Order: sequence, then C-alpha cells, then structure tokens
Amino acid sequence: MPSEQAGFFVKRKISHKIQLYNVYSSTYSLLRDQNTLLHGRYHEMAPNVVPMDYTKDPDVKLPMQLIINMPELKENPFKERIVESFSEDGEGSLSFNDFVDMFSVLSEMAPRELKAIYAFKIYDFNTDNFICKADLEKTLNKLTREELTAEEITLVCEKVIEEADMDGDGKLGFADFENMISKAPDFLRYYF
Amino acid sequence: MLLYPLLVVYKNYCILIPIFCFLHGFDAEEDLVGSLASMSTNERIKAIQKMPETMRKKREIRNKVLKEITKKSRHRGAQCTQCLQGAAVSFRRFGNTLSEYFHQLRLWHKTLKIIGAEFGTSVLSYFVFLKWLLNLNIFSFLINFGFITIPQFLAAEPNNLSFTGLEVFTGAGYFQQTVLYYGFYTNATISKVENGPSYNMQLAYIFTVGIYFVICFLILLFSMAKFFSRNINSQTFSVNASKLLCTWDFNITNEKAVKLQQKNLHTQIKESLTEVNKEVRNFSVMERVARIATHLLAWLASLGTAVAACAAVYFLSINNLKLFMKGYRNDLESQAAMLVLPVIVSLLNTLIPFFFSWLGHLEKFQTPGQHIYVTITRNTILKMSIVGILCYYWLNIVATSESQCWETLVGQDIYRLVLVDFIFCLLGSFFGEFLRRIIGTTVCMNLGLPEFDIGRNVLDLIYAQTLTWIGILFSPLLPGIQMIAFFIVFFVKKVSLMRNCQPPRKVWRTAQMMTSFIFLLFCPSFLGVLSVTGVTVWRLKPSEECGPFRGLSSMYAAVDEWIQILQSYTASKWVVWIYHNLISSELFFFILSTILLVVTYLYWQIIQGRKTMTELLRKQINNVSLAFICIFCIIWLLC
Repeated sequence: MPSEQAGFFVKRKISHKIQLYNVYSSTYSLLRDQNTLLHGRYHEMAPNVVPMDYTKDPDVKLPMQLIINMPELKENPFKERIVESFSEDGEGSLSFNDFVDMFSVLSEMAPRELKAIYAFKIYDFNTDNFICKADLEKTLNKLTREELTAEEITLVCEKVIEEADMDGDGKLGFADFENMISKAPDFLRYYF
Repeated sequence: MLLYPLLVVYKNYCILIPIFCFLHGFDAEEDLVGSLASMSTNERIKAIQKMPETMRKKREIRNKVLKEITKKSRHRGAQCTQCLQGAAVSFRRFGNTLSEYFHQLRLWHKTLKIIGAEFGTSVLSYFVFLKWLLNLNIFSFLINFGFITIPQFLAAEPNNLSFTGLEVFTGAGYFQQTVLYYGFYTNATISKVENGPSYNMQLAYIFTVGIYFVICFLILLFSMAKFFSRNINSQTFSVNASKLLCTWDFNITNEKAVKLQQKNLHTQIKESLTEVNKEVRNFSVMERVARIATHLLAWLASLGTAVAACAAVYFLSINNLKLFMKGYRNDLESQAAMLVLPVIVSLLNTLIPFFFSWLGHLEKFQTPGQHIYVTITRNTILKMSIVGILCYYWLNIVATSESQCWETLVGQDIYRLVLVDFIFCLLGSFFGEFLRRIIGTTVCMNLGLPEFDIGRNVLDLIYAQTLTWIGILFSPLLPGIQMIAFFIVFFVKKVSLMRNCQPPRKVWRTAQMMTSFIFLLFCPSFLGVLSVTGVTVWRLKPSEECGPFRGLSSMYAAVDEWIQILQSYTASKWVVWIYHNLISSELFFFILSTILLVVTYLYWQIIQGRKTMTELLRKQINNVSLAFICIFCIIWLLC
C-alpha cells in the first residue's frame, strides 16, 4: 500500500480508537491493546529510539523534524505549529502521550470546542493567547506561499481585525475567534 | 449573553488573575472534580473529552473523579452500586467494541477519505451525496421487495414468453410477465394455507408505497433542517476573516492539491482587494440597461430552448404510443424504435447544458457565484420540464389510451429512460473526462487537465433519482436497478476522477452546496413526484385486466373498500373514525395548515428579534470596553 493510503487507513482506525481512548483513558494496558496502531506509527518513525514495550513508561521524545515528515502532515503549511501546540515542552518534540493527544484532537470525532481551542493555538504564532497582527501576517504568508506584497498583506490583516475584533483591543482573543468560526459552517469539516 | 462584557473585564484585569490562580489553584481543581463526580456518566465523559488538557492530566482528573465516586458510594454503604457500576462500564465497553466493528463495515470510508485528501471537500460532497442516494435506494428496494414482491412469488403465474437478450435494454418482452412491472401483480388475497393468515395484495401495494413516501418525506425534511440550521449563520459578515482563518482545508494532503489551494486563496484575496478598490464604481444608465437586456435575452433563449425541447419530447412520445398500439413485434427494428425516445431525451439533457454554460459566459455576471447558481437553475428548469412533459404524456395520454395494461407501458418507458440515462452517464464520463484529458495533454496543451464538474454531475443524480421515484408505483423493483446503477457509477466516477481530473480551481462553499443539493432533491424533485403519484392514485382509472387494482374505479378505492369492511368490526371502529374525521376531512387539514403557518411566523419573528439583539450587544461591547479603558487611564493618571 502506498504510504499515503496507509496514512489514511491508519487515520480511519485511529479516529475510532481515539474515541475509545478518550473515554477510557486510564491504564497502560489499554494503551497497548487498543492503540497498537498508533504506537506502531510512532515506533516506525524512529525504531532505534522508541521501545516496543511501554509498560515502564519510558521518557522518549521524538524531535519535530521526524514528526513533520509524516504523510498526513508533510504538505500542511502549518505542520510546525500543529506539532508545537501539542508538545509539552513547547519546542516541538512529542512524547507518545503528546502524539496520541495530537491525533485525538485532529480526528473527526473530537468535539468542536476542542478543535476550536487548538485551532486558536495553532494560529497563535507567538503564544501570547491572542492572535495579533503579526500572527495574522505569518498565517497569510503560509496560506499564500508568500506571494502577496507587503501592502496587500497589511491591508488584509487590518480588514480581518476590523471585522472580527469585538472589543476593540486590536487583536483577536479566543472569544472573538470562536464567534467568527461559529459563523463558518465548514470549519468542522475542513479541520480534519 | 452576559459573558462578553465579563470576558472584556477579564482581559482588562488580567494582571490580577495569576495571583488569584495561585491562591485558588487547588480549590479550582477540587471544585472541578466535585462537579464532574456529580454528573451522569455520559455528561462526565463528554465534559472530560472537551477539556483542552493533555491526556495525562485528563487521566489524573478522571482517576480522582472515580475515587470520589467510590468514596461517595462507600459512604452510602452500597456494595451493589459498585457492582452495578462495574457492570455498566463493561456494558459500555462492549457497546463501544460493537460500534467499532460497525465503523469498519462502513462502505467506502477509506475511498472517501482519499478523495477528500486529493481533491478537497467540494468534490467529496458529490460522492457523499451519491452514497446517500445509494443508501436510500437500498432501503426502497428492501421495502418493496419484502412487502410486495416476495408475497407475489407465492402467487406467481407462469411466464410463457421467451427470453432474448435484448429485453435487458428494452424492458419489454419476457420482462412483461415478471415481478418487474405492476401488471404482473395479483389483486387476490394470498394465503398459503386454507383458512390461514392471508395477505391482501391490494392493501399491501398501496400502503407500502404510501408509507415509503412518507418516510422519504421525513428523511428529506430532517436532512434539510439539519443543513439549514448549520448554515443559516453564514452571512457575509466576516468575509475576510473567514477566508483567512476558516477556509483552509486541512483534509488535503496531496502536494499538488495543497499548492493549488494556496494559489486559489492568493487569487481570491487579490480579487477581493481589487474589488475593494473599485467598490465606488457606478454603472451609467446605458450600461445598466445593456446588462439587464443581456440577462433578459439569455433567460429568454434558455427558456425558449427548454420549451422547444419539451415540444420535441411530446411529439416523439405521441409517436412512441402509436408504436405500442400496433402491438409488440419481436424484430430488431421495433425494438430499436422503442429506444428512440429515451435516447433523444438523454441527448437533450446532455447537450443543452453546454449551450446554457456558453450563454452564461456571454453574460457578464458580477460574481462567479451568481454564474454558477444561474446555470444550475436553468439546468434544473430544463430537466424538470422534460420530466413534467413526460408525466403529462403518461398520465393523460397513455392512461386513457386503449392499451391492455397502461401501467406496465409506463413502467417500461421509465425503465428504458433509467437505463439509457445510466449509459449516457458512463459515456459522459468517458468523453467529458478521459478524452478531454487526452486532448488536453497531447493535442491542445493549453487546455490542461479537466476539472470534475460537480454541478452537472449532481443534477444528473437528482434527475435519475426523480425518475426512480416516479417509477416506484409502476415498477416496484426499479430502485434495485437504480441501486446497481449508482454502485457502478460510483466506481466509474472515482476511477475517472483519480486518473483524469485535477483538483478544482474555483473554491465552492461546501456547506451551502450540500444544502442546495438536498433542497433541489426535495423541492422540484420529490414534491413533483408526490403530486404525480397522488394524481395516479386518486384520479386515474387502473387497467381492467392487469395489476393489483384491476376493476376498481381508482387505486385509492381499495382503501375505501377496506374501511367499509372494517366498519362491521367493533374492535376497529377507531380506525374508521380516524379515517372519516381526520384523513378524508378537509377541515382537519385546513386547521393543521393554519397552525403550521402561525408557528412558522412566530419562529421567524423570534429570529428577527435575536438578530436585533446581537447588533445591540455588539455595540454594547465596544462601549463597555472603551469605558473601562477610560476609567483605567483616569485612575492611573490620578495615582
């Protein structure tokens, strides 16, 4: 099976297993039984480092470079931000728990509120809990492959803040973001 | 509603929050655990899922909550509540395992994910719609087969006609005396054992078809309501903001598709920026008149074409009838003559849309969205008027002709239309995509790869489904044939898409599209079918010599006779009462319609009121935050 097709097959299996994991997230035996597929993917990224046996809770983290080469993330312009939002140390290295967290939020069964929270984190490049103008400019660059002129970028970002900023502080808080996506019915469908 | 001002207060005083958290941190978690422990299990699971914490933290909280629950139940001294809880947990686990297996059985789940990844959500919505129609047809087929066809097998008459291969295309000949058509069904009450349970074929036929249409109506209504409620908020309020933050399709993982999406977004943003710059452009009076004149002419041309197509179909079908009245001959020429009408109808349905899209290019629409909607409207008008003229021909001319079994004739016509439409769909795929790709990559390089034409394909599906619904009364197994057709179409379209097409350059608003598809399926298509079936059941006289309603004055007369029989049984007097006072009474329907109109008007007023409220609150937020900033500055200056 070509690796892209394998990726989707895994994603389908993962999405349902993740729901189970969400419900019964308790012991490592459950982890091993029902998430062998996820663990297999984690292991195959770095077979020398990741042990097959997780009962002793080893402290293994994979660096960002390995994870952003996964077929599901490789072409995504926001891949670094996605991995950083789920990494506990903030630098992009994911332990297995973080890895499972990431796929659990990105599966099709995660609740909308959770997806909104993480989407906000992904677009917030400087991690100050606000989407300010600089964050919007970086987002726009990633979305259009840096082909717009500086004036056009500034103009678009100003319009966005003008439209979505409810309380007039010049940047988008989480409430503004949530209000905006509540008017976009495609958000859930597009966000994995 | 009060949260917005509170959040603003929170933001302005966020210096104080860390101190609060440090002092109240542990209390906050205890409160959380306490509140989670007092929820029901389902609510607790959902609340834990919604928490934006890491898995480890969620696990800790969940363990604490479980400890809290067992402590509480130990206080109440109940051993059996623990057993019950254990039983509930294992039951839920079993249920989850079962649902996991059902998930694996979902048809084409992997294929749909791959299509979504390579081509985006808009092309995916066509395949999702096709799968939905396929499920609907499987349901229709099972109902009809179970309740009408299987009992008929027990009372089947022998078939004396011979089978030649051509019947598959014409539906006549051998198939006339099979369960495929209305004419074969008996009007008797079938009973295998003497004085045993009997099965009244007349009632079975009419009630199965009736209840099936009611169920379809409810399914369509609920699907439409679900899509409307999700999409009613998508106004043009935050066009730019939505475009930037909400339209990136994270499902796509193909490199080419991602680059195309980026280029797309780039073009859109550039277009909207240039629109901003020429917003203040006033059309002169002459230009406006010219535009309106062009639009009028284009509409006249398209409506004229539709009328001409209908006239052609009408005259062709009158000729068709003359052919049938001459009697059935088994030679090749008369078989081929039977296929002329379906082929011409399908040709008109395939070629005229190209004329419409050429007209659309001539008119200069203000937005591409307008162009798409106008083209879809024109195509729908064309297809529905052709179906309408065919129904008129069937119900007014065939039904009153002197043929032996007019319902079977209509059933055969519909069978041929469905089959030829299916063949044209496959040919359309071949010419429209495969050959176009060959031309675009070898002969005429600047054309490039073709795009998957979503609008045209969806209208084809809706047309096929309309024909199937009309044909259910005359040919109960038609949904089975359509089911096989849709199955094959899915595979052919998928292979053609993957090999020949490129991802779409225009970005469609997917949610609005799905709403429009289901709405088109409901409004001209399903309601039209209901009216046609209604006229057939209530007004037309069934044929004397064949079918389950032979000899009656109308198909509905079977229900009338049944109610008469029921009147003599005291146990079923309530059924008779409901029939006389509710179903066949006009007053009841009048009162029902009035109540529905009043409720609709009230809901509409509530929506208007809420919109005004939202505007007021928005203004309030701006004012409140300004007020707080002013107060803060004054206090700071004074200190």
